[in-house]
Parts: sequence; C-alpha cells; structure tokens
Amino acid sequence: MAQSAPGEEGPELAVPRRAGCNAGFLAPMEPFAQPAACHPHPRPSVERRAAAAYDLVVVGAGHAGVEAAAAAARLGARVALVSFRLDRVGEMSCNPAIGGLGKGQLAREVDALGGLMGRAIDATGIQFRLLNTGKGYAVRAPRAQADRHRYREEVTRTVRATAGIELVEGGAEALLVEEDGRTGRAVVGVRLSGAREVRAGAVVLTTGTFLQAIMHTGESTHAGGRVGEASSGLSSELAALGLPLGRLKTGTPPRLARDSIAWEALSEQRGDDEPWPFSFATEREHFPVLPQVGCHVTATSKEAHEIIRANIDRAPMFTGRIQGVGPRYCPSIEDKVMRFADREQHQIHLEPESLETDVIYVNGISTSLPADVQESFVAACPGLEHARFLRHGYAVEYDFVQPSALDRTLAVRSVPGLYLAGQINGTSGYEEAAAQGLIAGANAALWLADREPFVLERHESYVGVLVDDLVVSQPVEPYRMFSSRAEYRLLLRQDDADRRLVARAHAIGLADGAALARMQARVAVVVRTRALLDGLRDASGKTAAARLLRPDVSMLDLEAELPALRALELDPATRTTVEADVKYAGYVERQLRDVERMRRDERTPIPAELDVSAIRGLGTEAREKLVTLRPATLGAAGRIAGVNPPDVALLAVHVEKWRRERTQPV
Amino acid sequence: MRAPNGADTIAAIASPPGPAERGIVRISGPAARFCLGQLFQAEAGELSGERGLWSGRVDDGRGTQPALVVWMPAPRSFTREDVAELHVPGHPALLNAVLTAVLRTGVRLARPGEFTRRAFENGRIDLSQAEGLLAFVEAAQEAECRAGARLLDGGLARRVAHLRAGLEDLAALCEASLDFDEADTQDVATDELLGLARDRTQELAAALGWEVARQPPGVAPRVQLFGAPNAGKSSLFNALAAGAGCSSAAIVNPLAGTTRDSLHALLALGGGREVLLADAPGLEPGSGVADVRAQELAADARRSADLVLWVVDARRGVVADELDRERQFLTRPTPVVLVWNQTDRVDAVELGARGAWMLRWSLAGRVELALAPGQAAQGLEALRGAILNVLFGAGESETPSAGLARELFVRHRRSLEEAAQALASASQALAAGQALDLCAEELRDVVRALDGIFGRTLPEDLLDRIFARFCLGK
Repeated sequence: MAQSAPGEEGPELAVPRRAGCNAGFLAPMEPFAQPAACHPHPRPSVERRAAAAYDLVVVGAGHAGVEAAAAAARLGARVALVSFRLDRVGEMSCNPAIGGLGKGQLAREVDALGGLMGRAIDATGIQFRLLNTGKGYAVRAPRAQADRHRYREEVTRTVRATAGIELVEGGAEALLVEEDGRTGRAVVGVRLSGAREVRAGAVVLTTGTFLQAIMHTGESTHAGGRVGEASSGLSSELAALGLPLGRLKTGTPPRLARDSIAWEALSEQRGDDEPWPFSFATEREHFPVLPQVGCHVTATSKEAHEIIRANIDRAPMFTGRIQGVGPRYCPSIEDKVMRFADREQHQIHLEPESLETDVIYVNGISTSLPADVQESFVAACPGLEHARFLRHGYAVEYDFVQPSALDRTLAVRSVPGLYLAGQINGTSGYEEAAAQGLIAGANAALWLADREPFVLERHESYVGVLVDDLVVSQPVEPYRMFSSRAEYRLLLRQDDADRRLVARAHAIGLADGAALARMQARVAVVVRTRALLDGLRDASGKTAAARLLRPDVSMLDLEAELPALRALELDPATRTTVEADVKYAGYVERQLRDVERMRRDERTPIPAELDVSAIRGLGTEAREKLVTLRPATLGAAGRIAGVNPPDVALLAVHVEKWRRERTQPV
Repeated sequence: MRAPNGADTIAAIASPPGPAERGIVRISGPAARFCLGQLFQAEAGELSGERGLWSGRVDDGRGTQPALVVWMPAPRSFTREDVAELHVPGHPALLNAVLTAVLRTGVRLARPGEFTRRAFENGRIDLSQAEGLLAFVEAAQEAECRAGARLLDGGLARRVAHLRAGLEDLAALCEASLDFDEADTQDVATDELLGLARDRTQELAAALGWEVARQPPGVAPRVQLFGAPNAGKSSLFNALAAGAGCSSAAIVNPLAGTTRDSLHALLALGGGREVLLADAPGLEPGSGVADVRAQELAADARRSADLVLWVVDARRGVVADELDRERQFLTRPTPVVLVWNQTDRVDAVELGARGAWMLRWSLAGRVELALAPGQAAQGLEALRGAILNVLFGAGESETPSAGLARELFVRHRRSLEEAAQALASASQALAAGQALDLCAEELRDVVRALDGIFGRTLPEDLLDRIFARFCLGK
C-alpha cells in the first residue's frame, strides 16, 4: 500500500491526483461512468492537515468502521481507528452470518471494491449457501454462517496488518470543532475518555446503535448499545452541529446452550455441497477453510403463541415504552404473533455461533419480552423444552442521523470534515454498514488528498443504490437492501460484481493489481466463450448462443455436447457469468437504454446554492420534499415521491439558469 | 410496429382546443420519422429527408384522413430535434384518433412543458423565453390536476384503483418471492402467479371496455357554486337552472347547511356555449362526520372547477374564516366571479363600502366582480354575461382544461393498453418457465404503464404491500 510521504503541502498520496474514475470495464457503461458529484467542502488548510497526527480518525470498529479505515489506508491515508474495546473489532453483534438476499450482492461488491468482508467470511465461514438458485441469476445471493469469534479475530488480524491503520482504545466523548480560515467551522478530531484528543483532517463516525442507546428486556431497561457496553453521548454533539436526529429500534433473539437442545427431534439444513466463496480472491481449492456444519430448524407452537399473547402487556413495544420504530422485515416474535394471528407457527433456525463455544443463535424469535416469558415460550417450542438460556433477547433503541444530511460521498453537507456510515445513518445490516464504511472512508481520504470523489451509480452497483436511496430518504424503519430497490436489477448480478467494479476501484487505488489481473483474466475467458457460442452452429444452422436462450438449455448441456466448449475447462463461476450474459442479453440491452435515457438527469447537479423554495410553479409537496431532502441531481429529484415530471422540468430550467448566470458574468 | 427508440420521442396535440378548421399533432424526437412512415402516405412521391411540406393521408387505425405533414429535421425545429407536425381537420374526436395512432407506434404523450424543456435544453430558446413559458407550466400542471380529478369522476376512480391494487399485488407477490426467504413467503408458485395474471388480464380487458365505451369527458366547462352556508347558493342554482329550462333542482331550506349532495345542471348560455353548473354543500365546519365528508367534497369540487361563483350574502359580507378557507385556493389560477346575493335587502351605502373593501382584496386574488341583486332578471343576465366573458372571452369555444381532459383521456386509455401488453408478455414469460427475475421485470413494466394514470409506484409501495401480506424475517 502506498504510504504517505511528507510533501510541500503536508501529507500527500503516492497515487496520482485527479485520476479519472471512469475506467469502467464494460464498454456500454463507459459513457455514464462520470460522476455528477463533487466534494461538498473545500479541503482543510495546509496548517491544519500538517498539525494533525492522522489524516482520518474513524470512530467505531464494527463492519462500517473497519471498511472505512481500510479503504482510507488503501488510498494512502494515515488512519486512527478508535473503539471502546480493541477485543471487539469486527464483532458480529447480532446474527452470526454474512450475506443473504440483497445483502449477498452488497457483500460481493464490497469485495470487488477491495473490502475485507468477503475474505474474512471465506476464512471463517462454517456453512455456505447460494440462495435463490431457482429464481434467476440477478437475484441469486450468497449467505454464510460464520464462526463469530474467528470472524472477529480474522478482521482484527487484517486491520492490524494493514499499513496505515493505528488502533486506539477509548470511547469518543466529543467532537473537536474548530474554525478554519479555509472551510469555516469544521470537525478536526475527537476527544476520548480521559481527555485524550485525537486530531485528524476528517472524522468518520460509525457508532452503530450506540447513540443514546437503551436496551429493553421486559420492564427492565439499561443504557447501552450492546450487552456489557455503554452507550455514547455523541448525539448531543451532533444535535449541536445542527444535524437532524431520529430514533429507531432493533432487536436480537435469545442465545441458548448447545447441550440443552434435543437435536435428534429437529431437521437439519446443510450447506451447499459445492460451496461458493464470497471473495473473488479466494481460491476454490483452499475453500472452505473451516469444517462445515449444519443448522437446525424448529418452529414456534400454538402454546408458545398463547404464552406470548397472555404476556403481551409486558412487552415494551406494546406498553409504549419503546418509541423507536422497528424493522418490518425482521419483526420481533411478539410482533409476528400479534400481527399474523392466524399463523399457528413461525419458523426458527438454530444457528451455531462458533465451532468451539456452545452458543446457539435462535434466529426468528427476536424479542424484548421479560426474561421469564422468554423462558416459558421457548420451552413450548419442539426440541427446546429444556433449553438453557445463555443470554436473553432484548431490543435496542438508538438515535440516528437523518441521512438526508449527507451527500453521496457520505459527507455531512453542513459541516466540513465529518462523514457518517452504518447504522448511524438509519440502516440495518453488516453488509449495508460495510458498503457505507468503504464509501465514506475512501471519500474522506480522497477529499483530504484533493482527488475526485468516488461515487457509484445506481446502474453499476447495489452500493450506488444504497447511497443514492439514503441521501434522499427519511427512514421510518432501519433501511435494508432488497433487490426490488434496484430498478436496474438485471445489470447487478452477484456473479459479475468484479467485472462491474474492479477496474474502477483499481483506477483510484482501492483494489490492487492482482485483483485487476484476476478480473481481466476471467473476463477474457467470458469473451472467448461467447465468441465460441456465437460461432458454433448445429445442423439446422442455429448458433449455440441461440440455443442457450431457451430456459431449459444450460451451459452444462452444451458443454456435454460440444468438445470445443468443453476444451475451455470453464470454472463454475465463469460458466455462470457466460450463461447469464447470454440468457439476459435482451433484457440487459433494454435496461441499458433506460440508463441512457436517465443519463442527462442523473448527471445534472442541482447546485446547493440554488434556492429551490423560491421557484414559482412547483407543486406544494414537491417544493417541501426538495427543500428538506436536497437531492444532488435532477435524477435523484425525480425519484422522490411527490416530485413529478413537470416539477423536474421546471427545476431543470432553473438549474440551467443558475449555471448560465454564474458561468457568463454580465 | 413500434419504434425502437420511441420512449425518447414525445407527441401531443399542439393546436388550441375546440373545433377549428385545422388541428395539429406534433411529434418530436428520434422516432418522429419512423412514426410518420408508419402512419402517413404521401400523395405524390416519398417523404425525403429534407425539410418540407407534404400532403397525403394519415391512417388513424379506423380509416384514413386527408392530412398535411410539415417535416422539420433536426436541428432546424422548435426543439432542435426531428419534428413532424400532422395537420388534420380540426375536429376533437379526429385529433384524438390521430394522436392515439401516433402513440401506438411507441412514442409517448408529452407532459406539460416538455416541448419547451427540450427547446430550452437544446439551446433553441433562450432563458427569457423559457422563463416566459414557466407560467404556462404552472398553469398547465394545475389544469392537468383538475382535468385528472374530473376524468376519474363518478365511481371510475374506485374501479380503476381496484384494478391498480390487483396489478400491484401481483408484482409485489413476485418481488416478495425474490427478496424473501421461501419459508416466509411459502414460496409463491408459478401457477399461482399465472392464475393471478389471468384474472388481472380479464379485469384489464374489462377496464379497456369501459374506456372505449366512454365519451371523452369535460367538453362543457364546470362552473362551481361556492360560499358560506345559507348564502343563497341553492336559490341561485335554481334561478339559473330554471332560466335555462333545466329540470334538476336543489332542495332549498332556510336552515344553514341543507344542501348535502352536489347537483349538476347543464346551462345553455347562448351562442352554442354550454357550461355544467354544480351546486355544492354549504361549508360549515365542525358539525358532524357526515358534514366533514361534505366539506371534503366541496373542497374537491372547488379544485376541479374551471370557474367558481363565490356567493356572498350581502347582508353579512365575507366572513373571516371563509376568507381563510379561500386562501388555500388562491394560488390556483381558477377564475372566481364574486356574486353578491340579497343586495336588495342591504343599504346601498353600506354595500358600496363592503364592495370597495372586497375589490381591494380581490386584486390579489384574481376575483372578478359581478352584482346579482336578489334574483332579479337583470342580475341573472349580468351573471350569465360574466360567466360567458370569463370562460369564453378569448373567443374560444372550450377551456384549456377541457382540452387537457381529452388528452388525459387518451393517455389513460394508452396506459391501460400498455399495461395489458406488458401483462400478456409477463404471462408468456411465466408460462414458458422463464427465470422469475425476468418475469418480475415484465411485471415491473405493467406497473410502470399504470404510472400514466396514477403517478408513480415506488419500490417502497411494493414493499409496503409485501410487509402487509407476509410475516417476514427469520
């Protein structure tokens, strides 16, 4: 990795400045790859950067924090990574799993962008499955159970081995805010417990659920964001900076002792026989690394539901004790029982948290009911009659910052030097957090180095969809990725995340040369195979590619029949890519035309200085939303509910007027 | 045949609404030439690429009409794109048929201001010109809103909303199966999706049936009575309706708030001009649930009107909260005629003072003043004159929003046709055993087609449907 060297202007990067980031590999993508974004603030003064011990301080070392620190370090920044406890770096707070529908695609993209997540799960996964294999290439997604201890150790090891990252133990108590002649009021570091100050050019906050966090189990409440860990008072600092805060809720299920469960009564769910790694860097010969285990499936029962119903008045969500709104896609068991009263049972997955420990994660019954109620309803589920609780389930309520305060680099628009990533932005999930961390960390480093921002578009990646959605959203529940959020879903397959993103990541220094070479080699095989498919004809003159278009014909069928194809010795990943490319070509072309049509709007920035509220003729709702959410481009404006095409047309004229007035001074 | 790049090409009726000697359908964009090729047969020779004028016949799908084509290749046109204008006899029904035929070739209906936006963005018109047209966009958006409300009058809104809900449910079911665990969604079977698609196909066909049977709406402009309870709206309605030889009449009761349902009467105002006069329930807040509903109806009616007759009891003048209520409508460009009722029972000096105050206020609110002293014949005559003058003053035989309503009617029908096509294609994909994500793409097209009627369905909307139906999340 490039190390920073002191230069005339303070620490500089060894990577060329203003390297273009429009090096998309696919020809059809090239014309649109130019971002319409720029950094929202001038970079800090030379003196300030020279005075700071670090370029960047990242607060929080969860899935967002480690990716932020590592991405910035890959770009040559000197990073301080601050955590309450250095033995919790890369901790899986809730579910011991990576990936899943929508999330698996994100994890693959994080890997293609040089992130840690994919390699860490490949090294520590104890069950790998590819989901949705029967439903189409664009919605397939990898998911893996992790040994959560080994996962954390692997992430910690990687972070410690990354040049440019220094781990600092401590709780961040305050933001250091100073006037800077160049940028005005700016965040210049954090103050840790014990009045230690860590100064840096920029700060990335990835505080997860720890802001003003309250944990609920029945009637009892504790301050704190995770069992045994305190909550953070940074909220008041953020409010003082004028950032709009909201409150959300999430929950976690009980953990049970392995030896207390009647396993023989339960059905087992195994991983895939031929597991797929998450990372494009993982070699299949040496994969999986750890022994693979099964998960077991049971379900709640009528009796369990009755117990829950009888005690519902003791659930904090129903007593009104919890104010925050929980996610509808991951409801608590009390929520499921009350809202879907006609269901007699709900599935429960028993997932081992580790190869070594006896902790079983009880997926499906997240709850904040009192401990005694948890114990009695769990005992009413088949196989769990004698289950011993290692930890009870609980709900956490926490503050988040309305993500409309951010721009697409995840920088706070109103305060220079501050970036936010992960649950602090109202999202949920390790993968969503990792993706944001990577974008925030990379952009903070690029800002400090006076280089172009790194912004991904909606048609290139789920990461782009995530960031794009966030900055014009007002979450009422934690935001989670779904493939249905991506209008160009068919362009965003998990199997070709490398083809979509590695070249762009490499061009700015996020991905290394080896990753680029790997991707290019794979793409070369894809290209060669496609040419062969177009050339090989059967007796009736039909090409192999044309035959592959039929839903019931696969690459394996053709390979069995055609020696020339067999001779290519395709690996399964590349076979999938070719097959999907051919079968989806018509639809992909259509989506690319849609992208082309949206291009002008997506690339037309709405200047921050433009007074939208003064534009005559906008609809009332449109005006309100445009003022509150401040979309960065005309395209983003058009995606907001309540902003109609005539409003966008009107806005377009005013944007152009603004631009002309400033570029042609009278 | 449909144009490959049709969605970048827009079309609309470009001539002023109402019967005229000639009407114009304008097409702008890369597919304009393709579209002409599909519909137009020149009398002599072929259309060349050169700018020019051709006469021939245009095929509107039911027959051919004589037409004149003005062909303006890019960049020498208003939008600097390829532009074709079809000049045909100016009968509204005929113009609609030609526009419908144009849209069937795959181009889409232009939104208010869209030709202007293109002209501006392509540097054809300058800023001051574009700014001059902004007022037009505002007014057009407002008029479209009004016309849209009227288009879905009379129970149609409910029927179409039901149709939309069914189609969104189908799309949501498919998305649920892609985005959630099979254990949660009990794995939606292709057969179930296919069965639902069949039901929806039938409903769509039925809906298209109503649309074809329906007459384009809104030819007669709507004149809405408005005012405080017991201001004399119903008396005025009856007087005007009686004068027009109309049998429909409102029940008049001296108790405030008697008129609960809207009543309509078609008034002939001379010179072949007709208006639809609508009475509205008296606005009296806070007097029970039924009245809340009545207030909502009144507000809706007020929004969809082309002209408002604001009836004021001269003895009381304008009540303060009535003025407040009116303010919410003040930004709208709907003209208002203020009608002083019962003036014969008020002292002339006092009335004069109130009138002067009213006029001062009216300058900001685009109010025209007409006096209707009691129900005296000459007062009514003056009122009829004022209505004619405001609505048809420019010598046009119908209002812009009536023209828009017809254009929307075309868009409406077109949306249903497109939804039906997309649904057929989705059913085909499902039946052929295509991958579910590809079927989902076709179903997304169905929902997108409906956007032409209802405004957009967002991913959030589909997720809401999914969460309402399934118990999700391990």
